Amino acid sequence: MSTTTVGAGAGIGTSPLRPDGTLKVTGEFAFSSDLWADRMLWGATLRSPHPRARIVGIDLTGAVATTGVHAVLTAEDVPGKKLYGLEHADQPVLAMGQVRYAGEPVAIVAADHPETARRAAAAIVVEYEVLPPITDPVAAIDAEETVHDRGNLLRHVPIRKGSLEATAPVVVTGEYEVGMQDQAFLGPESGLAIPAEDGGVDLFIATQWLHGDLGQVADCLGLPPSKVRLSLAGVGGAFGGREDVSMQVHACMLALHTGRPVKMVYSREESFHGHVHRHPARMWYEHGADLDGRLVYVKARIVLDGGAYASTSMAVVANATTLGVGPYKVPNVVVDGYAVYTNNPPCGAMRGFGAVQACFAYESQMDKLAAALGLDPVDVRVRNALEPGDTMPTGQVVHGPAPVADLLDRVRAAAPPAQRGDDLRELPGGVANTTHGEGVRRGVGYGIGIKNVGFSEGFDDYSTARVRLEVVGGEPAAVVHTAAAEVGQGLVTIQAQIVRTELGVEQVTVATADTTVGSAGSSSASRQTYVTGGAVKAACEAVRAAVLRRAGRDDVTLRGGRLVTEGGEVVADLVDVLGDRPIEETVEWRHKPTHPLDPRTGQGDAHVQYAFAAHRATVDVDVELGLVRVVEIATAQDVGRALHPQSVRGQIAGGTAQGLGLAVMEEIQVVDGLIRNPSFTDYLIPTILDVPPMRIDVLELGDPSAPYGLRGVGEPPTISSTPAIVAAIRAATGLALNRVPVRPEHLTGT
Amino acid sequence: MKPFAYQRAEAADSAVATISRTGAAYLAGGTNIVDLMKLGVTAPDLLIDVTGLPLRDIEALPDGGMRVGALTANSDLATDPVLRTRFPAVALALLSGASAQLRNRATIGGNLLQRTRCRYFVDVTKSCNKRRPGAGCAAREGEHTDLAILGASEQCVATNPSDLAVALALVDARVELLTEGGPASMSVHEFFRLPGDRPERDTNLPPGALITAVVLPATPIARMSTYRKVRDRSSFAFAAGSVAAALDVRDGVVQDVRLAYGAVAHRPWRAYAAERSLRGAPATVDNFERAADEELAAAKPLRDNGYKVPLIRNLTVGVLRGMTEASW
Repeated sequence: MSTTTVGAGAGIGTSPLRPDGTLKVTGEFAFSSDLWADRMLWGATLRSPHPRARIVGIDLTGAVATTGVHAVLTAEDVPGKKLYGLEHADQPVLAMGQVRYAGEPVAIVAADHPETARRAAAAIVVEYEVLPPITDPVAAIDAEETVHDRGNLLRHVPIRKGSLEATAPVVVTGEYEVGMQDQAFLGPESGLAIPAEDGGVDLFIATQWLHGDLGQVADCLGLPPSKVRLSLAGVGGAFGGREDVSMQVHACMLALHTGRPVKMVYSREESFHGHVHRHPARMWYEHGADLDGRLVYVKARIVLDGGAYASTSMAVVANATTLGVGPYKVPNVVVDGYAVYTNNPPCGAMRGFGAVQACFAYESQMDKLAAALGLDPVDVRVRNALEPGDTMPTGQVVHGPAPVADLLDRVRAAAPPAQRGDDLRELPGGVANTTHGEGVRRGVGYGIGIKNVGFSEGFDDYSTARVRLEVVGGEPAAVVHTAAAEVGQGLVTIQAQIVRTELGVEQVTVATADTTVGSAGSSSASRQTYVTGGAVKAACEAVRAAVLRRAGRDDVTLRGGRLVTEGGEVVADLVDVLGDRPIEETVEWRHKPTHPLDPRTGQGDAHVQYAFAAHRATVDVDVELGLVRVVEIATAQDVGRALHPQSVRGQIAGGTAQGLGLAVMEEIQVVDGLIRNPSFTDYLIPTILDVPPMRIDVLELGDPSAPYGLRGVGEPPTISSTPAIVAAIRAATGLALNRVPVRPEHLTGT
Repeated sequence: MKPFAYQRAEAADSAVATISRTGAAYLAGGTNIVDLMKLGVTAPDLLIDVTGLPLRDIEALPDGGMRVGALTANSDLATDPVLRTRFPAVALALLSGASAQLRNRATIGGNLLQRTRCRYFVDVTKSCNKRRPGAGCAAREGEHTDLAILGASEQCVATNPSDLAVALALVDARVELLTEGGPASMSVHEFFRLPGDRPERDTNLPPGALITAVVLPATPIARMSTYRKVRDRSSFAFAAGSVAAALDVRDGVVQDVRLAYGAVAHRPWRAYAAERSLRGAPATVDNFERAADEELAAAKPLRDNGYKVPLIRNLTVGVLRGMTEASW
């Protein structure tokens, strides 16, 4: 497939043009849904309409008899393991005897036209014995009826620190709820599977983790991993929603069965049913503080609805729990997190990964505490702010910068937005001419959050990079090859910048990510620039060492295509050292190891790195009509080191907007296990009119244990923008607002 | 999607004859029917594309009214300078609907025929009396925050999704038709209907009839008219509630007033009780509130859509207060 050459001359710390940028804004970028192969067939999926049912019988006659149909497959046709899953293989490739959520794949079809495939799928007759769905996660914990034989409790994470019996003179309690958010990426799930002559298959796929898919796909196909080759196709956004397998196994099964290339593209409605969502959460919190507002204890119970299959729920609940008191010093902690099976749509990874839900609760609590004490909400946070050397509720010591108080001070000190003008575009309801400002009240709110970067709890979290240095057309040129997924975050650009910085060459080509090189791990957990960036840097260092060995020097660096001493003396041209013998090094790079949590106390150094962001939201609320206009966001975040400052700001703005969506509009509405709004007409995401101007303050404090000192940047902005906006709405309205998203019907007096 | 045949209409009368005979459907902008066909909500055997018919003229009538061809794009009408002077509420309603792309594609005639956004109507796996008469209404006990508080029936609590229709109800627009029997015309108030025990019928459009134009009768009060819409985000969203209003205040007294509500009923809801209450009364916030309350006394909210009652009351008061201040 294609390779990418990134604009010349730009190392780390600069913002070279993204190679995909112009193509994307002009509509020329090839996304996975644009894939094409000669003699290609189209796949379609028949899904369960019921959240819980036994399958009594499946009659394929109608589909098989449809002209143009080449294959109709069910669970019996799965060649290898019939179950898959990222952490725990509990999800059937195709339903076996029962369905556990509405939208579960039951059968797949390949035909010579996508519409034929859809019609054939619709012609399959499945006889269901419908059962009452288990939909309340709290009740499901102890319910006798279970979604799986193993019971409904997926994982319980207890955290115990200090005294269990701590008491305090000031106590605030609250019950909070977070709705089910969707990643709402614009490019639906899609991929193309091509059968190979060796009996294997090549899969071109939009994913977040090629090797994560590879292991699951090979297992389910009953093929050795060497016969399943994956290449990254153009990804139209991910945000966690592509970390799990969707149609990967299905497309490969159909391709292997028919001996022809098979393409699958989900419709928007199917996409809503075809990937995991952010866990809905119910949370009970009790904060105890002394009369100065210093936290004495936090007790919390967090219940996450994992839906029908495990996905990454076990890791999500560990995050929600271990980060459950926020970036604060708390001597005594009792937190219990539960991830629960239900017959609701499966939930898994989404930007913020458990930290989002907890942050809405603990930040709401900090505001309540401030109100109970008559303190300023920022003061009470600063008074309790975590500092370097403090311990988390898990006992893990926070190393490196932890500028919690500084971030809060910065957003507080930012100049306030201008007072309301008469421009309709600046009023709640905007150009809808909804209000002329009669019932409009302004409110300001704050939020700060904490997120772990990278995979946790002892997971072997590494990336592999291959860097080749050679002479092309008389010039030194480098090729960097990893399996790391560019999902829109700008990783391709970053890889080239690192190579340019480390090897001092202008011409850098980033090869298409595929599985002919070792795993890069997932493009998730804000980890890819850290881990794959670290691997590329390490591979460059190995290449540089080889160059120096060949040149017989150990006192030079590579700059501008030359070997240069510290004093600036040019001792050789790289072209001459390389000659016609390229240098290639492949390096597997790991960050420092993490450790499991003690299953009884939740103690352990489970996380790699902590990242922090703070938000101040200013809102105008039309209290008569229930309309919210977020007027401005001020945010501050420590990114350690900004390798591509423009992309860093893009991540912060985009993450903040996604948090805004959760605050005031985004929710998958699930009633009795059924998604009621699986479309972009009914599932609302913010438009540009809803997203306010942002003041973005980027700190580069440098983490001594991370490559270049960088700190993962993608998730923190999503985490604290939601509670800041809700706090601002509370300030404007005086309403309690214990649930997000907040919608007009929650704001108009009834 | 079910297979269907497609024809381009050569002439309006032959299209009407074909549709009346076959139960086929018209295709204009396609912004609603194509989605519904994909979802299996509607499945015509034949689509007759009428976009080639000469029904795109916007005429400013000498008496102060306007006549708008049914195939006029929403965006073209919204920016018409005469409309913006004579019927500002209509222009504002059009501009608050959908997105710029949809407004370019959608037509005035098609807008009057768009189907409800009730989630049970568009989900063919759920019971819906509008989609399948007698099947029952899942919305009453289900997800109904968007649905009707006025004029609903046991069988149906759907709302009409159109913004334009609310403004048309305000100005007593007429809908011109071509039926098998020849040209006909009906008031927009006769055109739209309440669900009653025939929820499958959105309108009283005669079978096979083609909407050819919408006539906005000369309405001096409409020059002082406006439209306000409340929704979950700033653009590209259906209304949670909306108000179209026209107001004539002299010496602090309401000489004449018109009010119509959107997203509260199966049809655009002309608030006659509120209008009666206000005519001749001092233009005060108290009177605006009382008028809205009189209109909304008939409201029968469901479990989760009671918020629409204060929403519409506050919207009414806000709109009328704004217009009163502007007229002083």
